[in-house]
Amino acid sequence: MPQASSISVLVVDDQLTMRALIRNALQQIGFKDIREAPDGEEALKNLLAKPANLVISDFNMPKMDGLALLRAVRSHPPIRQTAFVMLTGRADRELVQRAVQFGVNNYCVKPFTVQGLRDKIEQVFGQLT
Amino acid sequence: MDELEAIKVTFFQECEELLADLEGGLLAMQDGNDDGDTVNAVFRAVHSIKGGAGAFGLEPLVRFAHVFETLLDAVRSNEVPATPDLVVTLLRASDVLADHVSSARGLGVVDEAVSAAMAAELKACTDPNAAPAPVAAPVVEAAAFEAAPVAAAPAEALIGADDALDDDDLGFDFQPMTITIDEQAADVAAAVGNVWTVSIRPKSDLYRKANETALLLRELARLGPIEATLDASAIPPLDLLDAEAAYATWTVRLETEEDETAIREVFEFVDGDCDLEITRGEGLNPDAALAALLAGEAPAAAPAAPVAVAEIPAPVVVEAAPEPVAVAPVVEAAPAPVAAPVAQAAPVAAAPAAAKTQQIDVPGPGQSVIRVDPERIDRLIDLVGELVINQAMLAQRVGEYGIAPSSNLAMGLDELEQLTREIQDSVMAIRAQPVKSVFQRMPRLVREVASMTGKQARLVMDGENTEVDKTVIERLSDPITHMLRNAIDHGLESPEERKAAGKNPEGVVRLAALHRSGRIVIEVSDDGKGINRERVHSIAIKKGLISPELQLTDEEIDNLIFLPGFSTADKISDVSGRGVGMDVVKRSVQALGGRISITSRPGQGSTFTLSLPLTLAVLDGMVVDVAGETLVVPLAAIVESLRPKPEEVRPLGPVGSVLAVRDSFVPLIDVGLTLGYREASPPPTEGVVLLVEGEDGSRAALVADAIHGQRQVVIKSLEQNYQQVDGVAAATILGDGRVALILDVDAVISLRRREPPRPVEPTLIAAE
Repeated sequence: MPQASSISVLVVDDQLTMRALIRNALQQIGFKDIREAPDGEEALKNLLAKPANLVISDFNMPKMDGLALLRAVRSHPPIRQTAFVMLTGRADRELVQRAVQFGVNNYCVKPFTVQGLRDKIEQVFGQLT
Repeated sequence: MDELEAIKVTFFQECEELLADLEGGLLAMQDGNDDGDTVNAVFRAVHSIKGGAGAFGLEPLVRFAHVFETLLDAVRSNEVPATPDLVVTLLRASDVLADHVSSARGLGVVDEAVSAAMAAELKACTDPNAAPAPVAAPVVEAAAFEAAPVAAAPAEALIGADDALDDDDLGFDFQPMTITIDEQAADVAAAVGNVWTVSIRPKSDLYRKANETALLLRELARLGPIEATLDASAIPPLDLLDAEAAYATWTVRLETEEDETAIREVFEFVDGDCDLEITRGEGLNPDAALAALLAGEAPAAAPAAPVAVAEIPAPVVVEAAPEPVAVAPVVEAAPAPVAAPVAQAAPVAAAPAAAKTQQIDVPGPGQSVIRVDPERIDRLIDLVGELVINQAMLAQRVGEYGIAPSSNLAMGLDELEQLTREIQDSVMAIRAQPVKSVFQRMPRLVREVASMTGKQARLVMDGENTEVDKTVIERLSDPITHMLRNAIDHGLESPEERKAAGKNPEGVVRLAALHRSGRIVIEVSDDGKGINRERVHSIAIKKGLISPELQLTDEEIDNLIFLPGFSTADKISDVSGRGVGMDVVKRSVQALGGRISITSRPGQGSTFTLSLPLTLAVLDGMVVDVAGETLVVPLAAIVESLRPKPEEVRPLGPVGSVLAVRDSFVPLIDVGLTLGYREASPPPTEGVVLLVEGEDGSRAALVADAIHGQRQVVIKSLEQNYQQVDGVAAATILGDGRVALILDVDAVISLRRREPPRPVEPTLIAAE
């Protein structure tokens, strides 16, 4: 059972509000090491400089979208196994199916609750303490 | 829940940006730029507003944004063509969305009828076959959202509400892929091996305590093979170099079986004397790895950047990057152990060039922007203002004690003055903002005014990134609004008139911002009919604003519209009605030390020009004495100062006199007389004359009794603390604590012009 506090997370969303909300939710779950990036390109730079255990990424972002970020992460050996949770709306069903092809670990449909997000992360890492 | 409240504040700030993006994107689409990126950016803006609004349970906003988004999604996927008419509708919808945001923020009320009608219109656009049900529309929407779990208890607040969902899967088979942290760590370790990146940034204390980087590097080398890279880019040019300061940063790639603790132990004795960062892996150049990834390659590991490598214990070689730049390529220092200060000082000659070529990116989380409460900055600026006054007081006191300028004290004070100035400039720069924030509200205004007056208008904006102090930005909105309204309402003709005149039925209104001689200039021009001078002239006479005999130039006639009580509209429209005339605008602009004027060409249009100081916080001024009062004359207005000789003063007419300055004659104005400090002027030859130039280029010679010197003063609004006084722009506090008035040069010049004839002054008699 991994400790939430030992899992480093990178939150990727172009919206400051959404990053703040997700960070807030993650803190409530017990995560401590939380970083943020405003788009896929920044996220990838960030990960290459310092790997994270978990990426929580929005889909529709300028520059590099969530799907491109996922592909890039999976093609880079050191960070290949980074857990990747995609945030999505119901309307983006096809995109989620493509994300599954590219090896997304889980997806989380907006709107979600803190508990909902926790469940999604636990489905990847096992129960968090 | 305080934190959520704070996020909500962020959300509304972000909404402003998103609304601006939305409008900007739509305007780009209107200009024919409807590529996928633009449309997607427009979609994303609305989508993001909806998402955030959902998280905070702002239902009316969510509902409207949802309808809007649905249509934009259809446009994005080319199901609905982006016709010019549709874009106009979308622009109007963006206005309604902005109203919803304001309302959610508690700053206004949404006109429900307008919102419902707009929502219905958007739906009709999305699905042209749907039965138009404009009245029922909002009800249906409301019903759809009642089922949504938006109004959940705060603890279960929904994050990023998107669609009304009560389940959280998308209805296809999916097993989450599990992973453990250990598996990931193994991956990382396999990829990076036992490589560590150690970044060392010594502080000057490190050298002061007789430690040096070379020794540290040698210690590190005991743990395993190292490659050290010196970043000398921070070394300033020689004249700015502080020999005792530390500028260099070392980045060391270390391969070792040891753990982080062992690495840290090397730095035990310099703890606190250097900034240390230890990361696992290469961590050197994410840009290179990123570029490789984007190019479709998947390198096994990020290659170390091939820059400036120095191996220890080999001789230290500091090398600029191998770019074809004419940098002194190799600067050799003594073999290890290198005396650190030498190694630091050595590449000085090459430093400026090296700074460009030798970029070693220390991994960081990207550029970050700090959002600061504006009140804190205002407080800082106030404090710096006090500091400036205080410094001036100190300098004055020291001067009074007759301390020699070459003394340490005086020199220290000079340094203080310079530093104070620098602080002030830096702080002012923080508060400088592009005028964009004001400009971006204007397209909507133009749309609304045009539709209200039945005109067709297109707004062209220029110079949105021109920066100006926040205090000025806040005051720009009203005059710009007025000038734009005026341009559309009075300037532009109706589409029919324009067609008859052989013009495009759509008029163009141009809004531009630029910097000119230390001021910000805002121009609003239209391509309308121009000012009807005959009519303006006759109205001014009819209303008794000017005397019929007065001969006026075209320019003077144009500017009659700024006279109080002047209004040319035959019928008073809602738009530029009598409520606030141009005279009020002019007065409020003048109160800020600004000017407004208009030029016009019949049949071709008019141009309003507004100029304001870049800041309302400080001013460079000349301190003068007039009739026992101390005044400050803005330095920007002063051309030169001189002591007039008797033969240079010539009488002009019964009351005036002029000063011969080289080949021209300039009217003499006694400031004391104009401001009512004295009844009669002393001979100008006994005082000092400041040759000033007004905004419009007109010159005048202001007579003062004595000049004290040039000083930077902190502007204190007279209007806020007392009341507006003709001829006075503001007040300030001088070094000795006295209050001095800041002269409004243009106002003084025009006051003098308007003055009724006075009895012949003794000045002139004396001068003659």
